[in-house]
Amino acid sequence: MIMINSIFIIDDDAITVFGIKKLLSSVILCDQVNDYANGKDAIDAIKKLISTAAELPDIIFLDLNMPILDGWGFLDEFIKLAIEKTITINIVTSSINNEDRERALIYKFRTHHLLTYNTKPLSKQEIEKITSAA
Amino acid sequence: MKSDIKLSSNYLIKQLPKATAYVGLNFEIIYISDSWKNNFGPFHTEIVGSNILCIFPLLSQKWQKDFEKCFSGFTTTNNTSIYNSKQKNSWLEWSMTPWYDEHENRIGAIIQIEDVTTSIKTKQELEKLKILVNVKSEIAKIGSWEFNALTRKLTWCKMTKLIHEVPSDFEPNIEIGLNFYKPGYNQNKISEIVEKGIITGESWNEKLQLITANKREIWVIATGKPIFEDGKYIGIIGTLQDITEVVATAQKTKESEHLLKTLIDNLPVNIFIKDLDSKKILVNKSEANFIGMSSEEIIGKDDFDHYDKKTAQLAREQDLRVMRSLKPILGEETINFKKNGLKTILLTSKIPLFDDDHKIKGIVGFSLDISQIKQKEEELRRLIHLSNLQNKKLVNFAHIISHNLRSHTANFSMLLGFLIKEKEELERENLLNMLMNASDNLLETLDNLNEVVAINTNVNLEIGTINLKTKIKTILKSLNHLVKNKKTRIVTQIPEFLNLKGNPAYIENILLNVISNAIKFAKSDIDHCVEISAEKYKNHIVVAVKDNGFGIDLEKNKDKLFGMYKTFHQQPNSKGIGLYIAKNQIEAMNGKFYLESKVGVGTTFKIFFNDND
Repeated sequence: MIMINSIFIIDDDAITVFGIKKLLSSVILCDQVNDYANGKDAIDAIKKLISTAAELPDIIFLDLNMPILDGWGFLDEFIKLAIEKTITINIVTSSINNEDRERALIYKFRTHHLLTYNTKPLSKQEIEKITSAA
Repeated sequence: MKSDIKLSSNYLIKQLPKATAYVGLNFEIIYISDSWKNNFGPFHTEIVGSNILCIFPLLSQKWQKDFEKCFSGFTTTNNTSIYNSKQKNSWLEWSMTPWYDEHENRIGAIIQIEDVTTSIKTKQELEKLKILVNVKSEIAKIGSWEFNALTRKLTWCKMTKLIHEVPSDFEPNIEIGLNFYKPGYNQNKISEIVEKGIITGESWNEKLQLITANKREIWVIATGKPIFEDGKYIGIIGTLQDITEVVATAQKTKESEHLLKTLIDNLPVNIFIKDLDSKKILVNKSEANFIGMSSEEIIGKDDFDHYDKKTAQLAREQDLRVMRSLKPILGEETINFKKNGLKTILLTSKIPLFDDDHKIKGIVGFSLDISQIKQKEEELRRLIHLSNLQNKKLVNFAHIISHNLRSHTANFSMLLGFLIKEKEELERENLLNMLMNASDNLLETLDNLNEVVAINTNVNLEIGTINLKTKIKTILKSLNHLVKNKKTRIVTQIPEFLNLKGNPAYIENILLNVISNAIKFAKSDIDHCVEISAEKYKNHIVVAVKDNGFGIDLEKNKDKLFGMYKTFHQQPNSKGIGLYIAKNQIEAMNGKFYLESKVGVGTTFKIFFNDND
């Protein structure tokens, strides 16, 4: 089984968070899986990690539709941060709207991080693919 | 004795007042009167004893014939001829009688002469005048007539007969003459004026209708002048002029003028003609009505007399543009203000007007009041805008439904996937609980969506009147727990009399949502205060709810403000549906929300309740 150090799940839907965690546990080994109910909480946590020089997550699961700071807002802030490490960010949304998919592409070209676009529900195969790439 | 007589006859002849000569059978002048010698000459030679035929060379041939006739006993009277080669048109009249001696022997001829140039000239003049009169009468179709009161004879000239269309040998009398006039007014009129004229001596000049022998109706000018001699009426002379053509032409001109005027007046377009100074010289009824004065009052005035200064200035510039460029302006839209401030939108065309020498002399203008059309256009545009908004709302709603259903279904699908594979009883129970939860969430979502649909489709909304102050008091009471929890200070400033019109349930929900939101957004570090005030503003009652809470970045959250399930603050019970429904409700009552907010300072939420009936 693959070992991954740290994973962030950013989603305000408890069931989705539960599902992702459950799928991950069947595919990889990970000590640190943190979940945040909105983009602001997540970005605050990451900034704190940077300031304490702690280890940043390897994989981020990101919902788009969230209160306070949504997925797009999170991406805007995140891209601005000086992070050398390449992090895999997986957008996981229930939106099948093409506009969102195209918007994600724009972010993909603006950052050195890996950006994928996935629609809910996530399958075991998708989780395997995501984790193996990281 | 004989010689005495001879002498005395010689002396007598010498004194004759009329130029007279006694001529012998050999054409030798025997005696001659001084009047001849003085008036006709020859002045320098001895005339007695010379040949008479030599005196006027031009007449010698004629005279020789006449003398020869006379010598054989015939008298010649009143022959005239031109006699002077130097003075043209000098006419001489002569008469000759045989000259007998006391034994009745013809011994010569006596000739008397007279210069008749003047009378001949007068005659010729008269002749000329006569011809002239005839020609004139023919060309002008003026005939003359004369009535002799003594003989009761009526004479018509050729032209008069022509006008009556009777043969040239027609013999009229006064009754027949009067009967030619058209029965009724015309006959009565002519009889009346003739009678009056005979009594008063007044002449007349009347335009009348006449029916010719060929039953043709014509127009004539009949004139007449009674003639008096020693104060006694002796007849009438008069003229008759056929003016049918003139009348017909005049009638035609009048008709086309009338037609043109009717046309211009009744065109539903304002028409005006202006001179070089932009003063109006013609306006039609529409223009007069538009300005609100009679056309007589408008003529001679310019736009500065009828419109606001700026409007008039613009119109004058427009006129000048046409008059300078000589090019028409077609269909230009202008906004006009009258002196009383009334605004109209005109579609105006101006065309240069030229005189006979092709020099500009003004403009012809047409303008159409399109204010109403513009208003309709505006209404239409508003409608299109509204339906666009509605459409956007519908699409948005469809997205919301699809998104919501999809997120729930995704959860179902995922949880069921886990459940199928899960063997551990405890985990299965956990998954089942989650499924139950997801199912409840879906049901709630559907209820919410249903509510939104109901708000948007409710045509016959129950309308009531609610006193705002009372309602707010009730709502604050129900929020008492929240208020205490947040330690919020509530300040209300609501006039007693303000009443809201609308659906009571909607109004309550809207106020509840907005006020509870304001309370929820309290910042923990400062004294939280929510101010609720209300006032009437134009057609609305505006309720303002002001807090000093978090505030919202309006620029960033523009699209999400009232979206379904969008919340800006992580608060318990903040599900994001409340404001969305409230927004639908206020719009269903023709009201709106207005938001002012600054992050970290606070938010003012204004609710515009429609106050129109």
